[in-house]
Amino acid sequence: MNTKNREDRNMKQAVLCVRNVVKRFPGTIALRGVSFDLQEREILALVGENGAGKSTLMKILSGIYPYRDYEGSILLGETECHFSSPAASEAAGIAMIYQELNLELDLTVAENIVLGHYPKTKTGRIDWQKVRADASAMLYEVGLNLNVDMTVRNLSPSMQQLVSIARALYRKPKVLILDEPTSVLTEREADNLMQIIRTLRDKGISCIYISHKLDEIFALCDRTVVFRDGIKISEFSKQDGYDSARVIEDMIGRRLVSMYPERRVQMGEEVLRAEHFQVPHPFSYGKNIVEDVSFTLHKGEILGLAGLVGAGRSELVSAIFGAMPKKCGKLYLDGKPVEITNPEQAIACGLGFLSEDRKKNGFVWSMNIRENMTLVTLRTLVRKVFIDRKKESRLADSYFRKLQVKAPGTETPITSLSGGNQQKVILAKWLMSDIKILMLDEPTRGIDVGTKAEIYKLMQELTDGGISIMMISSEMPELLAMCDRIEVLGKGVIQAEFSRGEADEIRLLQAASCT
Amino acid sequence: MTQDKKTRINFSDWFLRRPESGIVLILILFVAFATCVNPSFLSYKNVINILRASGFTLISVVGMALILITGGLDLAIGSVYALGALISGIAMTSWNLPIPVAILLGLIVGLICGTLNGVMVVKAEIPPMIATLGMQYIARGAVSVLTKGVPIYPLPDAFINLEPTKLFGAVPIVIPFSILIAVIGHLILSSTVFGRSVYAIGGNQDAARISGINIARSKMIVYIVMSVLAALAGILMSSRLGSAEPSTGTGLEMKVICAAVIGGISVSGGLGTMLGASLGALFMEALTNSLTVMRISVYWQNIVFGVVLVLSVLLDQYKRQLIRRRSTREPAAEKHEHEKS
Repeated sequence: MNTKNREDRNMKQAVLCVRNVVKRFPGTIALRGVSFDLQEREILALVGENGAGKSTLMKILSGIYPYRDYEGSILLGETECHFSSPAASEAAGIAMIYQELNLELDLTVAENIVLGHYPKTKTGRIDWQKVRADASAMLYEVGLNLNVDMTVRNLSPSMQQLVSIARALYRKPKVLILDEPTSVLTEREADNLMQIIRTLRDKGISCIYISHKLDEIFALCDRTVVFRDGIKISEFSKQDGYDSARVIEDMIGRRLVSMYPERRVQMGEEVLRAEHFQVPHPFSYGKNIVEDVSFTLHKGEILGLAGLVGAGRSELVSAIFGAMPKKCGKLYLDGKPVEITNPEQAIACGLGFLSEDRKKNGFVWSMNIRENMTLVTLRTLVRKVFIDRKKESRLADSYFRKLQVKAPGTETPITSLSGGNQQKVILAKWLMSDIKILMLDEPTRGIDVGTKAEIYKLMQELTDGGISIMMISSEMPELLAMCDRIEVLGKGVIQAEFSRGEADEIRLLQAASCT
Repeated sequence: MTQDKKTRINFSDWFLRRPESGIVLILILFVAFATCVNPSFLSYKNVINILRASGFTLISVVGMALILITGGLDLAIGSVYALGALISGIAMTSWNLPIPVAILLGLIVGLICGTLNGVMVVKAEIPPMIATLGMQYIARGAVSVLTKGVPIYPLPDAFINLEPTKLFGAVPIVIPFSILIAVIGHLILSSTVFGRSVYAIGGNQDAARISGINIARSKMIVYIVMSVLAALAGILMSSRLGSAEPSTGTGLEMKVICAAVIGGISVSGGLGTMLGASLGALFMEALTNSLTVMRISVYWQNIVFGVVLVLSVLLDQYKRQLIRRRSTREPAAEKHEHEKS
């Protein structure tokens, strides 16, 4: 950024250089020429909104996208790297700690640490004594005092996290990459982890730290690089002092212009009230991802749910819909208590749920557009015993035209559609059924700008018709433009509530990152 | 676009869109080949023979098609086939029950086995392969315990005369009966809400669940239907053989799965039609028949079956690859269009 910084860089030696890396996917470019250096004894933070290209870059560094799959070059020290696989990247000295722990849960701590690099005796058998000794030494490095013969499954998430760091250290890495390492940790555990990372840095291991939690980053990282839309926007250094507002500004960047319909609010009476929802964490046992959340939804209202990845927004909505188990929580529809334990009941109550991951639980890939559209409403199309095919086709056709799905016809397989059109088909599935409340989880993720605008317009029309909408989104501008009220989730509770006009991106992000 | 090109596109469309396209091609080629080698292959008598033999497989294939399309599997059917036949045989001979009651009893045994399979798969969430493998041993074991290896013999004449009954004095009853079951199976699969649920569960269970489909119930039903049909086929076979054999139905599950897969049913679920599966059953018997007529030994026949099975799956994968290639190409083209407009 400034001269002082540049001098610094010259003084210290770069361990890892990323030079003009471009990564293309069919239809989009994830990285548009990214360059940055990682210096010796440095903790570098990478920040950016979802889809900014951080994960893609990490996948390149860790060899998941092999050499020649991208353009540009990666230098480790002086040598240029041509990783053909994650193993090659690991052998070169890049160790990666993933957001979702990838330990072998049924092996012991020691085995997990040395996995793939078992020390052998002269006769070629595994030297178990050395395995245990090595594992203990690694655990000491991360400050964990633990019996190495314990099964990893029995450890707490934070201990598992430390074991996976010990495992990475065993490979003697030059560079350690941590992707959202604190997402499953409590605050104290996170503090402990950061202390360990500092110790590692002082021992000569450079770290790349990816996180959405700006408070952590500002406390820990020597330098912060901001990504947006596949390019490096700016970098900040700790010496110059971090300015949270500026970092956030750079993360968010440009505003989308006039994509949104003019929001006419005709809020009616309360249609849904959720009280004290508590939802267990889907991956880490004994932890709750949603601790205690209560909110209300009114007729014709669009309620936004903001928060970071892992804040529990999707889980909250899934639990309301009965797609995920909840620990406790009461639900009232039109003031009357209802018990929803599975999606079938939710649909009967007039709820609809557009899930976050289209491929995972949005559409049925083996079916065509018509079959996917009528999945929810099929029961109403039965004449005597059999499905009334003419009626089904007519219904599917009317929504196909109404939502302007771009495809040859309703008999086209859904897999041959683009993401936006697939989303329209899934939306049609819910619109056909008699819904009063529609829950949209990231409705515009991975969708081109034109279709996005169409979806916003549709949302406006739906609320005009008296339907209430809950929308989860990680795109702040979208939330700000569409929602009448925004609840910000963080650490399993509602951190803040903003009504229309009260919120701006900085306030939202500050609330979400609990700073 | 020329007319020629258009018809070619339609053919490839048909080939890609219809799950039974592979088996139809295979069957046509095979019948042509078999008729060339042995002109009497298509004689009335031989065709009836083939249809009669396929009838027994066909009844089980109807159930297996449903299970495979949900993404499940049933390895117990060979044993349930034997157990159903055995129970109704014992009911007829030792307990002197009327034949319809005895048959019903055999079917109830099938129902119980199917229910147990369903409970293991749905409630206990045991992988279908393991759960039904367990049931395979249990049912086969029950057969051994009950018979100590000795066939139930002789069965009442009225029962033995059941299977050879001929419709219109020419068509053995098992042919129209099995076709009737296949047609009912086809209607259920293609035109009812339940059938659509079966496809949805196999295609994407999570999406099906969110769409309000009762997965547990649907899966339960397919396992029960399968076992009842297997027991039914076993009972019919015992009528044909004149005795309830303890070793009958050994290896049936593999034959039936093979027929279904050759018929275009995807073992990973979500794809396939009853027509395809039925043609698969027909093809298996036609192949056995022609190989036997050609005096190729049973040992060689197994090799042929293995090769055909692998080839048909290869064809299926090739089809999927084509579909995938299409689906990655089309959105790009569409996006381009979008940009232009």
